[in-house]
Amino acid sequence: MEWECCWAKNEITPEDCPHIARGEEELYASQQRRVVEKCLGCSRFRNDIQKLRELHHPLAEVLPFIVEEFIDQKARLQSLGSFLNSKTWEIRFLHELNVVLQTSMDLDEILSIAMTAITAGKGFGMNRAFLLMTDKERQFIRGYLGVGPRDYDEACEIWREIGQNDLTLREMARNFQKTKLASEKIKFHDILEKMSVPLAAQQHIFNRALRERKPILIRDAFTDEGVDPELAKALGVDSFLIMPLISRNRRIGLLVADNCITHKPITLHDMQLLETFAFPVAFALERASLYERLQEEVDKLTAANEKLKEQQELIVKMEKMALVGQITSSIAHSIRNPLMIIGGFSRSLLKTTTGNDINRKNLESIVREAKQLEEVLEEVLSYADSLHPAMDIWDINQLLVGVSSRFKKRLEQTGIKYSCNTAADLPMLFVDYKQIAFCIRTIFSAMLEAPDVDEISVSTRLDGTDIVVEALDDGTASRREAGEELSPTASIIQEMGNNLGIPLCKTILEKNGNCLLIEKLPLRGTKYTIRLPIRKEGD
Amino acid sequence: MAKILVVDDEENIRLLYSQELAEDGHDVTTAASAVEAVARLEDKSFDIVVLDIKLKNESGLDLLQKIVKERHDMPVILCTAFSGYKDDFSTWLADGYVVKSSDLTELKDEIKRVLAKKSQRQEP
Repeated sequence: MEWECCWAKNEITPEDCPHIARGEEELYASQQRRVVEKCLGCSRFRNDIQKLRELHHPLAEVLPFIVEEFIDQKARLQSLGSFLNSKTWEIRFLHELNVVLQTSMDLDEILSIAMTAITAGKGFGMNRAFLLMTDKERQFIRGYLGVGPRDYDEACEIWREIGQNDLTLREMARNFQKTKLASEKIKFHDILEKMSVPLAAQQHIFNRALRERKPILIRDAFTDEGVDPELAKALGVDSFLIMPLISRNRRIGLLVADNCITHKPITLHDMQLLETFAFPVAFALERASLYERLQEEVDKLTAANEKLKEQQELIVKMEKMALVGQITSSIAHSIRNPLMIIGGFSRSLLKTTTGNDINRKNLESIVREAKQLEEVLEEVLSYADSLHPAMDIWDINQLLVGVSSRFKKRLEQTGIKYSCNTAADLPMLFVDYKQIAFCIRTIFSAMLEAPDVDEISVSTRLDGTDIVVEALDDGTASRREAGEELSPTASIIQEMGNNLGIPLCKTILEKNGNCLLIEKLPLRGTKYTIRLPIRKEGD
Repeated sequence: MAKILVVDDEENIRLLYSQELAEDGHDVTTAASAVEAVARLEDKSFDIVVLDIKLKNESGLDLLQKIVKERHDMPVILCTAFSGYKDDFSTWLADGYVVKSSDLTELKDEIKRVLAKKSQRQEP
């Protein structure tokens, strides 16, 4: 019997069967596999069964049922196989996503993987996705990030790029985070702006999705009454999917996805798949934002610790200073009293000593030296006092007038002319009164002690961001050259007892960011300029 | 002429004040401690007290408070070696504050000023 089909042959040639494709060559030699895979569906085989029927072969009547059932079962098996494959792929994909989402604490990394997963062909394959986050403080849902092409050309470019580099989802997400995340945030700025909605707008589709905790699939945005026309216009698509992101009853935000380029319909299956993905994304986003906040708190705590350490050092320093102050006070008491007794009794004796008395000159020397020692002591004590600054807001004019009034009597006694010219409306200064008063007092003393001084003038003025206090005398010469007064701190101790005041003033002022300049004037006199930058409390 | 009580733990200072103030015609009594000062104040009436802040183991400021509390019309001038006390509000109870100096002019002027103020207050 000559058969049309090759089912009866052990081995065949390519001419015997037109259904064997390239890559299936082993079927030429395998009769069993060839019959099952090819012959049962072949029209030649059906013709051969017909021939058997004509020959009244007993199997000819049942063979078609068997073949039909076999083909049906085979199709069902194939369908189940492809279903299984697709589910396996989905599980693998979701597992890969979950691993990344569960292990990452970086908000940008989570955003990148989530948005790439939604838009990549290897992921959910949507064309475009938007992430909206709830801003609890401002009671708003805000557009945070948009990912995808803006037009067809850009889409082609992206797909070409993806096609060239066969990357895994994770690699794609990493690339996206590195090269595109920042620019994507700006790219959809206009749409994201329009997607912002107050949390109080209960009727808005976004709030509805968050309230009902269910995804919403919009099929015709332009006619759907529940969709804000402005939102439909901004997105420019009929169909889009809204996926709420809820983590442990907290409304984290929303995902909005569409197929703006391909206009491929979004199916219920797409929606279900995306819903499975929404929870880990919401959880990861919440965890990352909590971690970020925690990190901020840790940073704040670290900064506070640093400050505390500085404060502790300051306290130790201040305790040392306080000790210095106590010692100084104690020394003052111990020195000032005997000094006062020596000088006081010398003065008493001097009053009862005639001009011819040989002791008078000696007594005058004791009185003079005691007085000078008392002045030095006063300067040292004032300096020790100034080591504990008490910053407050002061009117420099008031301070100047207050200090100068102490010299009124001395000015009257010596007949030195005095003028004070203060500028009106000067800003208040944040300074230590005692320190600045000490400096002005010391400058006053220096001016009064200048030889041949007839006139003293002081003035204040505003110069840019500084307040300038200027003091002038017309003395012929100083005990020391004016410029030499500005000796460095290290040499201050050596100068003690000679003219300690001015170098101390310079040290005090400079320590507080101020400045003292002393100039010897061309003809006669000295000019003292104190420059005080205008600072506010907390500067 | 005024009756002045000088309270200072330094003997030589008490002596110096006594001589100098007596020279100006004042009647000067001295006390070396707060206890002695209280006793003097109980024994005799004074026009003014010149008080040192540091009195060996006692505080002149405590004595100042006691005087102000018990004899509110008694003027007190604080006389001390350290000008820093001027910023201590507890010294503000005193009628005058003078930093110790071998030149007693400032103290004498302050006594004059405080006494003048006192007599002004007492005038009907």
